[in-house]
Amino acid sequence: MAPPDLPLDRLQRWMQDVVVRDRRAKDVDQVILPSRTLTAPERLEIYHRMYPIRMREALESDYPGLRHFLGDEAFDDLVQRYVAAHPSRSYTLNRLGDHLADFIARSAGLRRGAFCAELARLEHAIAVVFDAPENPVLDGAVVAEMGEAVADLRLRPIDAFRLLQFRYPVGAYLDSVRDDDESHDHPRVALKNTWIAVFRRDYSVQRLDLEKEQYSLLEALQGGATLGEAVLATMRRSRRALAPEEFFRWFRRWTAAGIFRATDSDTLSSGL
Amino acid sequence: MNRWNLPDLGIGIGLRTVHFPHILSQRPKIDWFEILSENFLDTGGRPLYVLDQVAERYPVALHGVSMSIGSTDPVNVAYLEKLKALAARTRAHWVSDHLCWTGVQGLNSHDLLPMPYNEESLRHTVARVKTVSEILERPLVLENPSSYVEFRSSTMTEWDFLARLAEDADCGLLLDVNNVYVSSFNHSFDPNVYIDAIPADRVVQYHLAGHTNLGTHILDTHSDRAVDEVWRLYARSWRRTGGVATLFEWDEGIPSFEVVHEEALKARAHREAPAEAVHGAA
Repeated sequence: MAPPDLPLDRLQRWMQDVVVRDRRAKDVDQVILPSRTLTAPERLEIYHRMYPIRMREALESDYPGLRHFLGDEAFDDLVQRYVAAHPSRSYTLNRLGDHLADFIARSAGLRRGAFCAELARLEHAIAVVFDAPENPVLDGAVVAEMGEAVADLRLRPIDAFRLLQFRYPVGAYLDSVRDDDESHDHPRVALKNTWIAVFRRDYSVQRLDLEKEQYSLLEALQGGATLGEAVLATMRRSRRALAPEEFFRWFRRWTAAGIFRATDSDTLSSGL
Repeated sequence: MNRWNLPDLGIGIGLRTVHFPHILSQRPKIDWFEILSENFLDTGGRPLYVLDQVAERYPVALHGVSMSIGSTDPVNVAYLEKLKALAARTRAHWVSDHLCWTGVQGLNSHDLLPMPYNEESLRHTVARVKTVSEILERPLVLENPSSYVEFRSSTMTEWDFLARLAEDADCGLLLDVNNVYVSSFNHSFDPNVYIDAIPADRVVQYHLAGHTNLGTHILDTHSDRAVDEVWRLYARSWRRTGGVATLFEWDEGIPSFEVVHEEALKARAHREAPAEAVHGAA
């Protein structure tokens, strides 16, 4: 039984248990006054009811594809279980979904759980890229003037860049949701390897569907390999012959898209 | 004029994402914007880019929801350092948050949870306001919350608590007139008494907003125009404080920029309301 003169710290823990942890309190009348229209439990219930609504709104704004796939009821259930396991510990709700993909992957009983986990991972990457710091981007003309020394260059992706590989066509599914057409045929949820780069250009988040070899090359660069090392590793791993022109074409496209950071003079000189 | 000579910025509205394109392309004539601090603390993307454009052209003040000034958890210094940097970046005229707590034991409910109003909570909050003001290197401005519960352990009214807090911690007040009305309905007190008890020279800013009346209680939803009773309370308070920056909040079903701004500009007429109309507030 909670006495009415609970110390502040105990009072706050008591109220938080009801609002956030969904624990039923039997001693509400001992702590809270009734109003002329509502009992003490009814008054406390107002806060209790608003909490899941806020959590749902926050996750729905970052995971529209997941909500669309699951439908309202299953999404609500997922949110409830997720925030019970991973309540917000931050001053911002922007990172509320940081553990969602892993949570789904570990959860039993969710319809097409493996697909949902990958969809959540893609939508999380989009959210992270949206807020990532802005970097100056590489000027393709500078690289073009380097000649053969370019092979020693270490290109780093911008902060607003994520490289992802999936076993399901989650990018295509998200596209179909964004078409905002309920009658649209959504892609079949069938196994299909896909490789995706999510990045931000001019403050707009974009997605690039990649071939396996392109993913491999970007992965090597992201891991710190020089351009020459990354190209050789990609050629070794590829099942098909890759012509130098293909690499040039990819780099022109990626540089134009602004996915590499500006190369500072130190990197350039070490490369040279 | 308030005791810190913080300026009357005029009549503004809250900066909201849905209005970004209009603000950037039309550069509307408006006195000032209030910025929701947490929306810009951890982003290097478009929100910060837009904020920089806005802060370059308009006066701004920061308004937060996660300071949790009444919490018994330790003060979040990392959060405050980021807030201080954002205030410097935007040349914010002041930094405000709510008299509330949002969580304990490291959790955040992301709700503005009410405080019990007694000597213990007053001492606790005064100490924290002083700490925060030192870190921010400016007086903190605190807003009266709207609330749905009253604690048996309260020994003083909310307005007495606010007045003593402002005096003892030397902080400013953001008087949310809609919150006064909402809480007066939910807790059956006379809002005029509340308005008249607020130390006028501590009021740095006003908030106005709409709400949702469910019959048994009112929710502070910021989802509509302000009701007449709120405007009358604003006029009543204005007669005590004089020129204080005023801001209209609209957060649910947000209409066009022009509609929100038009609603905010109604404040002009209420500032000039005759005394008999002002004192007619229920």
